[in-house]
Amino acid sequence: MAFEFRLPDIGEGLEDAEIVTWYVSPGDVVERDQSLLEVLTDKASSELPSPVAGKVLKLSGQEGDRIKVGDVLIQIEELDPTPPRENTLQKNMEIEDTTQEKTVSNIEKQESFISVVPKVKASPATRKLARELSVDISLISGTGSSGRITNDDVRLAAESDERASQPPSPVVNIESSTPIQDRAGLGYMEPGEHNIKGVRGVIAKNMSAAWSEIPHIHSLDEVDASLLIDFRNRLKKVNRQGASKITPLSIIAAATVRALKKYPMMNGHVVGSPAEKIIIPPSVNLGIAVASDSGLLVPVISDANDIDIFELAERISELVELSRDNKISAHQMQGATFTITNYGSLGGRWALPVISLGQAGILGIGKIEERPVVHDGKVEARPTLPIVLGADHRLIDGDVSEAFKNSIMNDLLEPLNLLVTE
Amino acid sequence: MLEAINETLHSEMARDERIVVLGEDVGRNGGVFRATEGLIEKFGESRVVDTPISEAAIAGSAVGLAMAGLVPVAEIQFLGFSYQAMHQIAGQIARLRYRTQSRFESQITIRAPFGGGVRTPELHSDSLEAQFANIPGLKIVLPSTASDAKGLLTSAIRDPDPVLFLEPLRGYRGIRDLVPDEEHIVPLGKANLIKKGDDVVIISWSYQVELSRRVAESLEGEGISAAVLDLRSIVPLDIEAISQIVSHCGRAVVVQEAPETGGFASEIIATINDECFWSLEAPVARVSGFDVPYPVGMLESLYVPDEARIRSAVLKTMENG
Amino acid sequence: MAKPNDKQLQMILEDMVIARTQAGRLWNLQRQGQVGTIAPIDGHEAAVVGAVHALEPESDWVLPQYREPLGLRRYGPEVLDTFMLYNLGHPAGGHIPDPVKVAPSQISLGASIPHAVGLAWGMSLKNESGVVLVFFGDGASSEGDFYEAGNLAGVLKAPVILFCINNQWAISTPTHLQTAADSFASKAEAFGIPGVTVDGNDPSAVYEAVFNARKRALNGKGPTLIEATVYRLGAHTTADDPTRYVPSDELSAAQEKDPVHAFIKDLTDRDLWSDTKQKEIETVALEIMDDAFEKAKNTPLSANSLMDHCFVSDTSRQLRQRSFLMESMGKSNE
Repeated sequence: MAFEFRLPDIGEGLEDAEIVTWYVSPGDVVERDQSLLEVLTDKASSELPSPVAGKVLKLSGQEGDRIKVGDVLIQIEELDPTPPRENTLQKNMEIEDTTQEKTVSNIEKQESFISVVPKVKASPATRKLARELSVDISLISGTGSSGRITNDDVRLAAESDERASQPPSPVVNIESSTPIQDRAGLGYMEPGEHNIKGVRGVIAKNMSAAWSEIPHIHSLDEVDASLLIDFRNRLKKVNRQGASKITPLSIIAAATVRALKKYPMMNGHVVGSPAEKIIIPPSVNLGIAVASDSGLLVPVISDANDIDIFELAERISELVELSRDNKISAHQMQGATFTITNYGSLGGRWALPVISLGQAGILGIGKIEERPVVHDGKVEARPTLPIVLGADHRLIDGDVSEAFKNSIMNDLLEPLNLLVTE
Repeated sequence: MLEAINETLHSEMARDERIVVLGEDVGRNGGVFRATEGLIEKFGESRVVDTPISEAAIAGSAVGLAMAGLVPVAEIQFLGFSYQAMHQIAGQIARLRYRTQSRFESQITIRAPFGGGVRTPELHSDSLEAQFANIPGLKIVLPSTASDAKGLLTSAIRDPDPVLFLEPLRGYRGIRDLVPDEEHIVPLGKANLIKKGDDVVIISWSYQVELSRRVAESLEGEGISAAVLDLRSIVPLDIEAISQIVSHCGRAVVVQEAPETGGFASEIIATINDECFWSLEAPVARVSGFDVPYPVGMLESLYVPDEARIRSAVLKTMENG
Repeated sequence: MAKPNDKQLQMILEDMVIARTQAGRLWNLQRQGQVGTIAPIDGHEAAVVGAVHALEPESDWVLPQYREPLGLRRYGPEVLDTFMLYNLGHPAGGHIPDPVKVAPSQISLGASIPHAVGLAWGMSLKNESGVVLVFFGDGASSEGDFYEAGNLAGVLKAPVILFCINNQWAISTPTHLQTAADSFASKAEAFGIPGVTVDGNDPSAVYEAVFNARKRALNGKGPTLIEATVYRLGAHTTADDPTRYVPSDELSAAQEKDPVHAFIKDLTDRDLWSDTKQKEIETVALEIMDDAFEKAKNTPLSANSLMDHCFVSDTSRQLRQRSFLMESMGKSNE
């Protein structure tokens, strides 16, 4: 078994050495510690003693050669072979299980990277959010300082699948608002300070803006709903697509659309603060506020003026279902010109709804309940529908709002009007 | 690198007769690593002085020599022994200009080797650069190549402010490259982008630059474009260079031999935070020694950052974000 | 007894011969790449061995510099066992087990001197009988620690023996460049303590000096500075080349006065030693060292030990580093 003696680093950082003189030749028998050769390093010349006793087999270098640290100098056949001593570190090293608690490094727990992110301005946290929401951050234009992409920008983009250019227009009744932040229980939040973020933040922003910008007038009324209910029951039996989807809400919506066609100013809105322009859109896009898990959503039936009550009912039904299941896209929530909010479904009777920015009116519908009504001079118990019309007083005066409201009420009292196509 | 240092000392001493070299074993012995070889023969005993074993006296008398208008180039045999001189270095040399409002200045260079990988006895390999970095008034230079050693040492000796010139033990003989024969000046405070790249930058100094370079080259073949930034001096720090390359890449790994906590990598990461936070795609990673005193020979290879650890950190950074 | 008796003289020579023999083997081990840097004891044997034989291992502490361990056999086999671990670069080399009163080697020159003073001071505060002997070289005496500690020892009347081995060289710096004082012992005047110069090549003289210093200390008379004059017959360490600066005639003259050879001759002349005994001791010396080295090489080492003994318990960051270390070890074992 040949023992290989390799040139050690004998001088704290040597790379190589020169062989000066060999003291032995192949075939010589050497003792342990007997000088084998003299080497010259940058620091000094040194004799190297043999680590083992045995017979010299081979010299791996000639006098004058430069040999690197770690290279074999000489091979010796050991007299009394000892098992080769491996690098002690490997041989003796045990990987002990540390008995102390290991802290898990939080550096390791990173999600995998979804898309290559170019060098847009976004904080690391924002980028992480974009990954979590599967949003391509490079397509977002930032609203933060110096064009920085904010977390809100990312969230909005996630909701709309494209660059969000307008703020969404959820309408929230203060009385019946669902606390979005906490799902543990309606209206529940932990005591202490919470940051406002996400949809709540957007709503808060919009509410505040709408409330401060639009001077609201509200006009309140109660309508005998018995004819509307009867109409609905009979329409449901009609053999027509969409008939099964007719609800009191869709009837009220149809009446509202008719009224909007008659009074286009209610369909319009004021631009500028306090007021610079009036926009009157060509068609009616009716927003219907729906309560969902992620808060109040307002899907929009576009061009509602072009469809009949059956189609309107279908579309409302479809959109409401999508909204409840949180499957509505931002696109489907854009462009409303007027909104109906049905707090009656939450059990409310009366409220003063807030008009959305970009609109001039809102119709609030309360719960249909039996009330004493005077009919033919007699007091009877009849289902009644409370309605509240909110209007932007910059654009709408009392004459218009009352006329508008009356139109709706008349149609609810005489629902056959709604079947008349104009 | 050793030869470059020796050459520089020779040429500077010839150029400026105010220069006095002092330290332990620097004269007759030419320095325990032969860095001062040949100086005493050429310039005489009064300019190349074998001092008693007193680091505090070496550093402290350097102040006096500077006050007398000479230019001391002192050697501390191993950086770990600078602790004995700490109160003179931190409390006196660094402050001389400040407390005398430039009436006196310390044009002093202190050379010292440090760094691991050569199985030295205790205190011979310790990396202390971060401790000195927190002392205002002291420049700290760490060459990674032989050519830079010459250029930076020239600048250090000529700099009117005190400079700690730290030489890598492993690099004395382990680092070889072409060194200009003529006068060669590398200004202090200018980092060197020794390798360009787009995906990630490895920032380091001293011997670890060489290891970082090797890792970067091998990653090239794996489709990762890694840049390597050699800081050259940590005080003054080239903030511009760091900002530019990190903004460009969006990812960075800082490598130091010193223990993790309080090491200079912390300062660099804070600087990156200040300058180019918004460009970051992943946390800046640190590769460093462990928070234990520099260990014995058998454990040294576990402790000192090697190519494998640097590589692993780079790959992880590329995964993140 | 102030002077060693014949039995003690024999034991002293035995230890000196063992030290010299083992030193030769240790040098070779370094040249074979099997151990780290070694500082040879050649020329210092009489000073070291003579000194410790005047101490009581059960009560007296020894704080070595780095050249002395082979000469501390009087303090038990653990000293050599631990020393071989130290030379191997194993962390256990820093742990000389209780109750052996020998501290591990000190690389930072002079740093142990204030430790010795503090230890002696502490012992007397606790009414523990005993002295502390700290070894240091001529070079170390230039460090501030020497002056500050010596001064403090004087004021405290600490039961400490400041034992300076003047081997004429601090690597390449000769003593006349180390100090302008007449002797190293004369520096004791600055501390207000007695300074004694002794021929370090004469183990009996060294024994006597330490014996007396010890008695003084135990009697509450405080510290003594002893300067033992020797000559460094070998290199400073395995990394040094003394031929660059040691005049060869000076070295030859010193070799003529080799303390080991001189003492062998002395005791042989007095029939207290023989060639047979010499060979026997040399053989035993190498056996002991080989055994100790084998034991050291077979001492297990776990990667975890990198992180052990920094604090009593890890900080949270250290815990993380420990995990990281274990992970990367696991990976490298795949």
